[in-house]
Amino acid sequence: MSEIRIDKVLVSILQRRLKSITEEMSIAMTRTTRSPILCEAKDFVTGLYDAKGNMLEQTENLPILAFSLAPVCKYIIEYFGDDIHPGDVIFHNDVFSMGNQNNDVAVYKPIFFEGELVAWAACKGHQADIGGAVQGGYNPQATEVWQEALRIPPVKVIERGKLRKDVWDLIFANIRLDIVEEDMRAEIGSCVVGERGVLKILERYGREVFEAHKEHLFDATEQMMRQEIRTIPDGVYRGEATAYYDGKNPGSEYTIRVTITVKDGEIHFDYTGTDPQTPGFVNGTFTSSASATILTFLQMVNPNMPHNEGMVRPIQITIPGGTILNAAYPAATTYGNHLCPNNADAIMRALGPVIPERVTAEWNELLCSLSTGSDPRKGGEPFVDIFFMGMKGGSGGIYGCDGYDHIGMIDASGGVLDQDYEMFEQQTPHRLVRHEYWCDSAGAGRWRGGLGVETEFVMGGENVKVVTFGDGDVEPARGAVGGKDGTLNVIKLRYPDGRWYTCTSKDLVENVPAGTVYFQQAGGGGGWGDPRERDPAKVLRDVRNGVVSLEKAREDYGVAIDPATWTVDEAETERLRSGEAETRD
Amino acid sequence: MSYKIGIDVGGTFTDFLLTEEDGTSHIYKVLSTPKDPSIATIQGIEEMARDRGLTTEEFLGQVSTIVHGTTVTTNATLTYTGAKTGLLTTKGFRDALEMRRGIREEQYNNRFPNARPVVERYLRLPVAERVDYKGDVVEPLDEGSVRAALAEFRNEGVEAVAICFMNAFANPAHERRAAEIVRDELPGAFLSVSTEVVPAIRFYDRVSTTALNAYVGPVLTRYLQSLIRKLEGLRYQGILLIMASNGGVISPEAAMDKPATTLLSGPAGGPVAGLAFVRGQGYEDCITCDMGGTSFDVALVKDGKPLTTTEGSINRLRISLPMLNVVTIGAGGGSIGWIDEGGLLRMGPQSAGADPGPACYGRGGELPTCTDADLVLGYLDPAFFAGGRIPLDLEAARRAIDEHVARKLGYTVEEAAAGMYDVINVSMAAAVREIAVNNGYDPRDFPLVTAGGAGPNHACMIALELGIPVILVPRESSIFCAAGMLRSDLKHDFVRSYPARLDEFDRDRFRALCREMRDEGVRQLAAEGIPEDRVETHVVLDLRYVRQYHEVSVEVPWDEAVAADPEAFAARFHPQHDALYGYNLAEKGTPVELINVRVTTVGRTDKPRLAPEPLAGEDPSPAFKRSRSAYLPREKRFADVPVYDGMKLRHGNRIAGPAIIEQVNTTTFVTPEFSVVVDPLGTYTLYLKEREDEILRRVLG
Repeated sequence: MSEIRIDKVLVSILQRRLKSITEEMSIAMTRTTRSPILCEAKDFVTGLYDAKGNMLEQTENLPILAFSLAPVCKYIIEYFGDDIHPGDVIFHNDVFSMGNQNNDVAVYKPIFFEGELVAWAACKGHQADIGGAVQGGYNPQATEVWQEALRIPPVKVIERGKLRKDVWDLIFANIRLDIVEEDMRAEIGSCVVGERGVLKILERYGREVFEAHKEHLFDATEQMMRQEIRTIPDGVYRGEATAYYDGKNPGSEYTIRVTITVKDGEIHFDYTGTDPQTPGFVNGTFTSSASATILTFLQMVNPNMPHNEGMVRPIQITIPGGTILNAAYPAATTYGNHLCPNNADAIMRALGPVIPERVTAEWNELLCSLSTGSDPRKGGEPFVDIFFMGMKGGSGGIYGCDGYDHIGMIDASGGVLDQDYEMFEQQTPHRLVRHEYWCDSAGAGRWRGGLGVETEFVMGGENVKVVTFGDGDVEPARGAVGGKDGTLNVIKLRYPDGRWYTCTSKDLVENVPAGTVYFQQAGGGGGWGDPRERDPAKVLRDVRNGVVSLEKAREDYGVAIDPATWTVDEAETERLRSGEAETRD
Repeated sequence: MSYKIGIDVGGTFTDFLLTEEDGTSHIYKVLSTPKDPSIATIQGIEEMARDRGLTTEEFLGQVSTIVHGTTVTTNATLTYTGAKTGLLTTKGFRDALEMRRGIREEQYNNRFPNARPVVERYLRLPVAERVDYKGDVVEPLDEGSVRAALAEFRNEGVEAVAICFMNAFANPAHERRAAEIVRDELPGAFLSVSTEVVPAIRFYDRVSTTALNAYVGPVLTRYLQSLIRKLEGLRYQGILLIMASNGGVISPEAAMDKPATTLLSGPAGGPVAGLAFVRGQGYEDCITCDMGGTSFDVALVKDGKPLTTTEGSINRLRISLPMLNVVTIGAGGGSIGWIDEGGLLRMGPQSAGADPGPACYGRGGELPTCTDADLVLGYLDPAFFAGGRIPLDLEAARRAIDEHVARKLGYTVEEAAAGMYDVINVSMAAAVREIAVNNGYDPRDFPLVTAGGAGPNHACMIALELGIPVILVPRESSIFCAAGMLRSDLKHDFVRSYPARLDEFDRDRFRALCREMRDEGVRQLAAEGIPEDRVETHVVLDLRYVRQYHEVSVEVPWDEAVAADPEAFAARFHPQHDALYGYNLAEKGTPVELINVRVTTVGRTDKPRLAPEPLAGEDPSPAFKRSRSAYLPREKRFADVPVYDGMKLRHGNRIAGPAIIEQVNTTTFVTPEFSVVVDPLGTYTLYLKEREDEILRRVLG
């Protein structure tokens, strides 16, 4: 290869272009898929990888999926060796070959330029069904992978441009919903969009210029990440967090333990000492847990960093097999993505004392539900809906900034959207009653936590099942540096006969009659810093807007407000905030 | 004599282009008056009259058309100074507006706050009512809850009311009844009803657009009424048109009826103007960038069409009305230079605006701005700024830069000014890159049309940063958007939802919808003085495969639309789906369904003529004024640079950089890497020296 002169403008153009191609791929998915999980909530990731499977760029609507794509790409390259050809399309979801979750099914498409493999386009989305014992995939009763899903190790569904009809039919014969077939076509379409974009770059600049500038981009990004890591004092830091209830044994608890070593611009996350895997489906896979680690750490560094191979080079992750974060074959693992909040808490508890101003108080942990059944309005057509709008609680406050209201789980960080209300009612037989901020849900603090939400809807449909999965109904999001805790998650059903049922955090409720009212509270995030140092004007604004009560303003923030005039009672506030008020309590 | 005037109100200057019937044009520029922008507008008109020895009334008697672009709605939204607005919404859903579906645009940034809503929660009040997904009433409208909410609004002094109910797109009856009650109870309030603003499905998009429409309604109404009163007082009897965000123009009545259509209209004249100038050289593509006093706006034209979107936003708040796709950043002549906590030099986004203005204006501004740096670097002549009407105080500029930038960095004043110039150029280049690259284009493939009073001083460095080889600086660059406004057509967009499978749809109903919207457009255009034979109708169908969630917008000619042949529609849809999304289901036979029918009626206006000049030869020396010392950014030194009078340059004149070309309202700095040739329209064409042969062929033929 001749010496290529590096054009720094081209490096940044290349980075932005790769990013914009992954965005176009993401738009293609959003605009053409059928399942609301994909087209409304954007529970998918699109990405480009080089010929060796190294990450070039990604659009990470749901980051918990994001950092499994490059490892799977590398696995596929090794698996097929020289049997990769122009026009091939490969499916993959297998959690025992680097997949993160059974329902997250990926498409990989090799990109050839002038006869040589130059890159890969990939798309991975949460499919509405993937076979297994329970429609929708979440099966709290599962103890091994086959009860959860159809396993798809790397398989070519299109070879040299020709559809392998037998293989295609074998796969979709094992999946309940026909929209999954259509949504997998959309994933293939997204990869074609990616391929077209990459070929345009190569036609314009040629392979050599592309490769040289790509390497330069990786190196520059690596340097940027090392600089960021160097701003954390060298040392060894430990943190732990508890995951509650394995779906089998009420009251069970599992501890995640992380040891973080920062040294010379590199960071090592070692999970040795984490509790063994559970008997049920509350188990992580290596890539779901490693994704959780990376996405949590990325929130503590410069958010404008390009996402490519260079970014992950200085990050090392060790997760012993057989633990709750890296369960051994053939464990059930569908829940694994949702151990991210617990994993994030362990990391934040380790680094919070070291870099307190860069770590948020804790986030509301996910507690989610999905409902399945058939829709009599549409001739009994089946439906699956993950109830994203109900599960999005608040993030933790951070030095200088309140938590984000109704952002949802840390593994998505605001990348997964609520269904639009009107589209939700078109798509499911349910009718919404209420979806609003939850007063007093946010942990008080100098910077308060983000608000949680309360949601209510009347269920419709036939043969309806409700599946819940998550946590945060035992331990709330903790406050930091003197801030208070957020509130707990709840999901309850009120049957037409007036009876209430409170769901556990890993539940499967069958035969839910039409007319049942579904009620959910997603908790607020933890507060950061002493609430008595919060600007009284901000407390007044929250009280006026009905998201903090007069009583909480007084008790937690030490701010007295006159609701007749909507003003702060300065003298009373001063008294409340001085020592004498404390003794009165 | 029949004049036309384009008027563009910017944050710092109000720009005017006056054209005569023969195509002769005159540029005017006055300082904006942000508290009441119509003051500057009238000042400019008075100045034009004076120059012609006429009274203002006599002059306006000879004006046939005034096209007016205003940013009052934009500024009200950006600065949160819109009307105190109340929202009436279905009980249980008052927070949708603020939640924005729970998105955080910067996922990894924990200090990225949510966007502030235009209606605070305590003014978002619930109404008991409900219709279901097909429009059937589940709970009747509780008029008492509407009246209770309105009593609260009255106590709070609410000036504008937005109404958005669940599923109203399927049955607007409750919204209409609530609107009647608002008219009774709060007759003075501006009213914005979701099914009138955007009668389409998707609650968040509708509530956001409707609330913004209410928020800016009183501001726009007050402004336009005051302007109309003033023009009427001066006996103006011609046509007044308002620039809209979709790149077209509309009557003031249409604008006041749907104020949100002007929210991003400020830069909307730019692409039309850019296209007119590049077409003279045979291009159908261009990137236009307009650097005014406060902001830098970039737009892209591809194959003769400006990029547009129906998923626009302002300050992260959704507006789902059609608009040109424009990237705006806070960078302009008034951008203030400052040193951040980490000791890094930053420029903007704070701007000194017109008042107090840059330090060198001597109007009380003490902070150093981009204009101050340009002056210190020798790009501006202190005695010839705005043709000498605003004498610049070089010492004041030096003092401001010294105190706020140079001393903090340990630099000389000149080094600090050069740093300010570099930093702002890099930010502007990033905005140009963003619009090109985010839409899949390489900026180097486009000529850069540079406009705005400050733009041409910075264009070479922006182009060098991105490797763009050609820059066009039109003679009218300082009032670029005003020029574009006079070249814009009248344009009205309509939408109707008609969800139906193409294999089952009712052709007559479809035709009736198309004709209904076209008739409405023709009626509106007639009221705006456009006869039917000058109306063009564009039809766009939002189509999708059954059970998809989102649609592809497919353009269909009018005759084909009214033929209503479903096969023909599907035949246009499949390949477009494939081109956009990488696959189609034509062979599989998946049915296609229609969701929305969109009709745009365009009333063609008379455009001012562009008068080409004869070729005058290479020699620019008749335009030579003198030399002055100016800073060469790549060489990091001052040198003697020749200065030319732009108005004396003629078609075919050539100048090798470095050079400065002065016009009354614009100074163009040509760096040593570029040369200039003047095209038949008087446009300075700057090109990288190594591209000379190709450019001269294009410009000189």
